Amino acid sequence: MRYRNATAYRFLTPYLLIFAIFWIWPIISSFLISFQATRTVPWRFAPTFNWGRLIGDPAFFNALKNTLLILVIQVPVMISLAIVMAVLLNSPLLKARGLYRFAFFAPVVVGEVAYSAVFRLMFSLDFGIINKLLNSVGLPKIDWFSNVTPAMALIMIAVTWRWAGYNAIIILAGLQSIPEDVYEAATLDRVSKVRQFFHITLPLLKPVIVFCAVLSIIGTMQLFTEPFLITERGGPGGGTETLGLLLYRQGFRSLNFGYASAIAYTMAGLAIAITLVQLWLTREPK
Amino acid sequence: MAAVTLSNVAKRFGNFEVVHGADIDIADGEFVVFVGPSGCGKSTLLRMIAGLEDISGGEIAIGGKVVNDVEAADRGIAMVFQSYALYPHMTVEQNLSFGLRMNGNPKADTERRVKRAAEILCIDELMQRRPKQLSGGQRQRVAIGRAIVREPQVFLFDEPLSNLDAELRVQMRVEISRLHKELGVTMIYVTHDQTEAMTLADRIVVLKGGNVEQIGAPLDLYDDPANRFVAGFIGSPKMNFIAAKVVETSNSAAIVELVNHGGARLRKPLGAAFPAIGADVVLGVRPEHFFEAGEGDCDIPVKADVAEHLGSVSYVYADAGPEELIIEREAARQRASSDHFTVSIKAERSLLFDKTGARIR
Repeated sequence: MRYRNATAYRFLTPYLLIFAIFWIWPIISSFLISFQATRTVPWRFAPTFNWGRLIGDPAFFNALKNTLLILVIQVPVMISLAIVMAVLLNSPLLKARGLYRFAFFAPVVVGEVAYSAVFRLMFSLDFGIINKLLNSVGLPKIDWFSNVTPAMALIMIAVTWRWAGYNAIIILAGLQSIPEDVYEAATLDRVSKVRQFFHITLPLLKPVIVFCAVLSIIGTMQLFTEPFLITERGGPGGGTETLGLLLYRQGFRSLNFGYASAIAYTMAGLAIAITLVQLWLTREPK
Repeated sequence: MAAVTLSNVAKRFGNFEVVHGADIDIADGEFVVFVGPSGCGKSTLLRMIAGLEDISGGEIAIGGKVVNDVEAADRGIAMVFQSYALYPHMTVEQNLSFGLRMNGNPKADTERRVKRAAEILCIDELMQRRPKQLSGGQRQRVAIGRAIVREPQVFLFDEPLSNLDAELRVQMRVEISRLHKELGVTMIYVTHDQTEAMTLADRIVVLKGGNVEQIGAPLDLYDDPANRFVAGFIGSPKMNFIAAKVVETSNSAAIVELVNHGGARLRKPLGAAFPAIGADVVLGVRPEHFFEAGEGDCDIPVKADVAEHLGSVSYVYADAGPEELIIEREAARQRASSDHFTVSIKAERSLLFDKTGARIR
């Protein structure tokens, strides 16, 4: 280490220590724990105990199915919605743009518990405004919390509400980096606004959309708050249990840290694999 | 091909008027350059012709047809942008053919037009590259190529060379000039660089503060500017302006005293207009119109401050009282800095302007 860098590293030491203890060590430790049988005292080294269980565990596959279902349906819907919102926010015709920008971003800063409580109230069978609205247009009430499909839809609606605006703001930044004269050139080329969107805007936004998609995939793989709070710990009957929730149940309710660690590594591996596949599919041609 | 006519064209952004009733007639096949300093309204005028800006007042006609309410794409124009405005995600070939493909142009015709543009601009070998893989000059060619494939009646250029280095700018200037000869279409070119204007234009439109100051052939503007602004803007290095006072008038001339040069006097023959005795005026002298002492009608002593030797010619930046004069001298390469010498002004090689900048002829 050069002497002139030494002072900088001395200032960084407190952070690096905390980073090593609470970040690096848990990553290594959980990896090691995933190879141990942790339901016995003392824990013993059993490489196939947790990983073997994972392969044949219906609860794991149920959680994996639920997580992937949310990923496959909610992420594309949310990103599409975010693109539409960003385009609207970017419109020169829009008045009070700052207000809308704030309104779209606001869900992210609302506390998770507070927003989950509000969603539970809104979708309540007897008192919720959503069912009242459905009734008012002649549709029957939906029991959002007792049936799997509505419960899953509720989770997706909640996550979309919370994160679509956030992604829209990121996409808006991407939109604003596209030079106006590219559109003017297309206008002179008699290219309609709709075709400009599909042939110019979307291709030029691709890196930003991929970035948002990667963030959303990682977020969805870790999804915990909504199924925990809104559908009451992945209810009904595990119908909305995600991998994040299964990890919590195994680790902190059953105290089976070995199995929870194996689930955690599976989640991380899946997130990395899906992200890599997506990056490969959307790579720039040479 | 088409003529372009601007009649009393105005542009307002809110209450702020940036173009005040411009009247310009551009003949079919003519190369006209709009030139002026930043903010003079030249690009706004071009964008109004293109249909990218609404017209607040007046009329624009292309090929005899008023186009005020005609969509940009239907005006028969093509535009080359300052930033090139190439589609970054498309290859050169896709950039050239994009507009035609989107409009359902027959494939064979699209290929023919793209091939022709590529041949004209010598970009055949770049067709599969993307804009980021091209140099500035190559991008500019592609931008011009995209305009060519539209086979427009009028080409519009918005400061197309301003992002290029000096050498490439000269090269592209020649190519644009050659392109005009080859295609023979009307071209309107916006620049703030008077050298580009002088070298490219059949006629130049000089703009200032949203007003057309003068329209004319490059040498007409150089030799016979309508006012002090045009005189100062056209020509590089710029014209020298020497403060003077009218001390005597006769039927055919005014005698002016150069106030910062020890009472040196010059008899300036004039036509019909005569300034009042005692009026403050400005004498304009181009750098190449200073002569050796005794050769002209009025001698003024100067002190050389800095000399720029350009090879074929040298420019001496000289202190002459409170005024700095730029003097072109062949002999300057032998003249040492801080040298005192005398230059002479000829009446017929000088211009007279009144206090407001208007020319006194």
